[in-house]
Amino acid sequence: MVTLTLYLQYIVNGLTLGAIYSLIALGYTMVYGILKFINFAHGDILMVGAFVGLIVYEALLGTSTSGAWMLIAFFIAMIASMAFCAVLGMFIERVAYKPLRNANRLAPLLSAIGVSFILSNGAAWMFGTQSRRFPYPFDNTPLTFLGISITPHQILILVVSVAMMLVLAFFVNKTRMGKAMRATSLDQPTSQLMGINVNRVISLTFAIGSALAAVGGILAAFDFRVYPSMGTMTGLKAFVAAVIGGIGSIPGAMLGGILLGILEAVGAPLLHIPNGLRDTVAFAVLIIVLLFRPEGILGKNEREKV
Amino acid sequence: MINFFMLILIYSGVYALMAIGQNCITGSTGMLSLCHAGFFCIGSYATAIVCKVFGLSFWLSLPVAAIAAGFVGFLIGVPTLRLKGDYLCIATLGLGEIIRNIATNINPVGINSIPRASLFGYQFASRNKMAFIFLIWAFVIIFYILFQQLAHSRLGRAMTAIREDEVAAQSNGINVTKYKISSFVLGAAIGGIAGCFQTAYTLTVSPSSYTFMVSVMVLCTVVLGGMGNAKAVILGAFIIQFISYFQQLTGLTNVIPPQANQMIFGLILVVMMIWRPQGLLGRDKYRYGDPRTWRQKIAESFGRKKGGER
Amino acid sequence: MRKAIIMLLVALFAIAGVYAGGAGESGDSDVYKIGFIGPLTGDNANYGIRCSNAARLAIDEINAAGGIDGKQLELIAENSEGTVEKALSSYEKLAYTDEVCAIIGPVFTGPALAVAQRCQEDGIVMISPSATHKDVTAQAITNPDGLNYVFRTVPSDALQSEVAAHYFYEVLGFRKLASLYAMNDYSQGLADGMAETFTSLGGEIVASETCMVGDKDFRTQLTQIRSAGPEAIYIPNYTVEDAQILEQAAQLGITVPFLSSDGFSDPEIYNLAGDFTDGVIYVGPAQAEASSILSDFQAAYSAAYNGDAPDSFATNSYDATYIIAAALDAADSGDTKAVRDQVAATKDFLGANGTINFAANGDLVASQGVYEVEGTTPVYIGSFQVVDGHIVQVD
Repeated sequence: MVTLTLYLQYIVNGLTLGAIYSLIALGYTMVYGILKFINFAHGDILMVGAFVGLIVYEALLGTSTSGAWMLIAFFIAMIASMAFCAVLGMFIERVAYKPLRNANRLAPLLSAIGVSFILSNGAAWMFGTQSRRFPYPFDNTPLTFLGISITPHQILILVVSVAMMLVLAFFVNKTRMGKAMRATSLDQPTSQLMGINVNRVISLTFAIGSALAAVGGILAAFDFRVYPSMGTMTGLKAFVAAVIGGIGSIPGAMLGGILLGILEAVGAPLLHIPNGLRDTVAFAVLIIVLLFRPEGILGKNEREKV
Repeated sequence: MINFFMLILIYSGVYALMAIGQNCITGSTGMLSLCHAGFFCIGSYATAIVCKVFGLSFWLSLPVAAIAAGFVGFLIGVPTLRLKGDYLCIATLGLGEIIRNIATNINPVGINSIPRASLFGYQFASRNKMAFIFLIWAFVIIFYILFQQLAHSRLGRAMTAIREDEVAAQSNGINVTKYKISSFVLGAAIGGIAGCFQTAYTLTVSPSSYTFMVSVMVLCTVVLGGMGNAKAVILGAFIIQFISYFQQLTGLTNVIPPQANQMIFGLILVVMMIWRPQGLLGRDKYRYGDPRTWRQKIAESFGRKKGGER
Repeated sequence: MRKAIIMLLVALFAIAGVYAGGAGESGDSDVYKIGFIGPLTGDNANYGIRCSNAARLAIDEINAAGGIDGKQLELIAENSEGTVEKALSSYEKLAYTDEVCAIIGPVFTGPALAVAQRCQEDGIVMISPSATHKDVTAQAITNPDGLNYVFRTVPSDALQSEVAAHYFYEVLGFRKLASLYAMNDYSQGLADGMAETFTSLGGEIVASETCMVGDKDFRTQLTQIRSAGPEAIYIPNYTVEDAQILEQAAQLGITVPFLSSDGFSDPEIYNLAGDFTDGVIYVGPAQAEASSILSDFQAAYSAAYNGDAPDSFATNSYDATYIIAAALDAADSGDTKAVRDQVAATKDFLGANGTINFAANGDLVASQGVYEVEGTTPVYIGSFQVVDGHIVQVD
């Protein structure tokens, strides 16, 4: 019984970590689905989102300690950060990726690495490299039942990421723009011939992906703190999550994120290895998944065209 | 100043070796791999263990480092070569992280006070940089020549064929798996040798030196110089090290913010990819034998070009 | 195109050469140069920045008071980014381009081990304010004179963890401890050392969990520790990790006290963890009761750096700078060997962290202070030493 509670606690912990990965993975998956390249700068957009959110939040809050105003300020900060990142994402796409749309596969990847360098080092230059705390806008006293603790923040993360996934799935599957997105992802030139404004679709994809990264960044910031390199490893893990789930698939990103989070939390105690090796467990699972199902758990199998 | 310049020469020699290895995998065979930091790490640790724990000669550690890294390359290569393009990239990235994670968990301090290398009684002390420059660049030149020769070999041609079109190569009777693994093992072994020289110079190995960023930098070195062109890759290594240590070289550490060169480097990457995606020098025009005489070569390198640029 | 690139490169090198030539010639003999190596950027840059600030403050004070025999001091701070390669290149620059008299740093153990090797070989004094690993002062002496050139103003983790274990066992009366430490050179040394002494005293380590530097989620480890039921948890980590551990422990309903090390003296922790720090007991440097050097330093530091407060490593760095200045004064020259002899001869130096003496291998000989955090203010409990296997309060 004790062990069961213990493992349930691990899983609850893993779920929240996984939900953050999922949120970021959604953005990765959308961009990859359409442009077929790894947007290495995605993690850094997350970091920018967290910084913008923190700055707006602190500026709005001032010295006020009113509970309601804290929530409102947090909400405004979230919207502002999403808007900022959406514009930033579109700008980066326009400047650094659009000219490379017909280049070989390596060019946009390297360009993304370059953008990532600029963003993270620019942030370090402007804000310094120390971590900052993002204060909770609500009371974060943990709730306990059956010996399992969960905080309101963890519940918020779970709710937001599931909601985001559902909204996104609805958008992609049911709306006109979503249809255009799917068409672009399947075949760019043909979609263009069919009257779809491919440039606009791609811009929109980047805007949505970056806004999602901003949400992920702010929600992660409570737990992770805000600092210039916060996006690097988190972004990498989120990408791993997207690949495990099946890149290009929205439920896949969610599933991959949750799975990775739980694996990180449960893997080391389950295997009786030191917790320092949890990254090894996570990456080993990635490789195993890739070997047996290269397209990911929920991904579609694409055969190489000759 | 001169001293610091020599240091950059040493570091860029190590990077040039790594880049030649990466070039073998990415430039020649067209496989996108992101775990050269892992091979580098294996090579460094192999040297450290051979010299420190077993007390054997540095020269013995050289083949050990190459074999150890090559073997890891083989272990990685066999299963992951079923993967294509970005999936291979992600899998190798994961493997690089696993190697570092395990090294850190074994001992986060790493290994230090490694005995120096010596040759005929001459000790390679870290202060005598000239000796290291000769040593490392001798190997850079050896591997450079080796790779120029490789292009004419069966292996080199097969690698190029795989890069250009895997399916076509296979249908022409090239054993794709065999050559892909050969190229992976070869690239990894050279990465291991780079680690060996790094250790000989720093006499310290610390797991924090083998981050994902190192793999990224090596890949950037190859792309910046020009994929599939050994000469270009060496130039790329030099430029990257020059940029990284610019402040310390010029004594402007307190003037230029430390993030500046990384930002400039990022900018260079973006601009390069847009304006010159083939790298500074581009692919080697004369991969399959150079028909020119040395006179023509000299004339061309001074700008009197005959053919068009690639 | 190719020609243009070559031209560009040549131009770049020419500019660099002109600059460097200018920089190299500026070394006039009216200045004693002191080098500093530490992480000025990176995730744990707060430690490096505070140490370099403290050294700069000390040098400004000395210069304002007329310098040393009329000569001014100059601090040249190089960024190690916390990596071995950059620390070595920083060393090369300080030792050969600037030709400094002595080096303060490196701040972290990994770089310190690499630089210590070179300092022993080349014969340049190195005083680290914060590299705690026992091997830092155990590097082979390879200079022709056979003299030790590596010192530190921070206790080796062997010393600190011994006092910590005795204090936890004898004074606080704990018998079952858990530890949660990052796999880095600093935390692992302390956690292992503490565990070894603590078990030899008869205590038990019920859970020893690890994490990686940069980890953000410690809930798995804390859940494991919670189920092991320790009386207290030892967390000898850097502030970033400790802040998250404290917060997540509170979220998991862990109420046992937390114990920490001198890394906790960084005031950054109170920004990051808020009042989750309440009740933490940590072992840090001892304070000299009788002198006002420490309070003067803290006041001057806050005034100079926008109200920021120094941590114990910064205080060590401040002391190291004054030790070097005193050595330069006594040696009457910037000759590295003369400076070394004077540093090695340091006896009962009264610094901000109390009386400082060096052992023959360059290690600090000092008692250890114990602090308890009340809210977000550390309260000094006293300084302790281990004598004949028992802890003794010194003052």
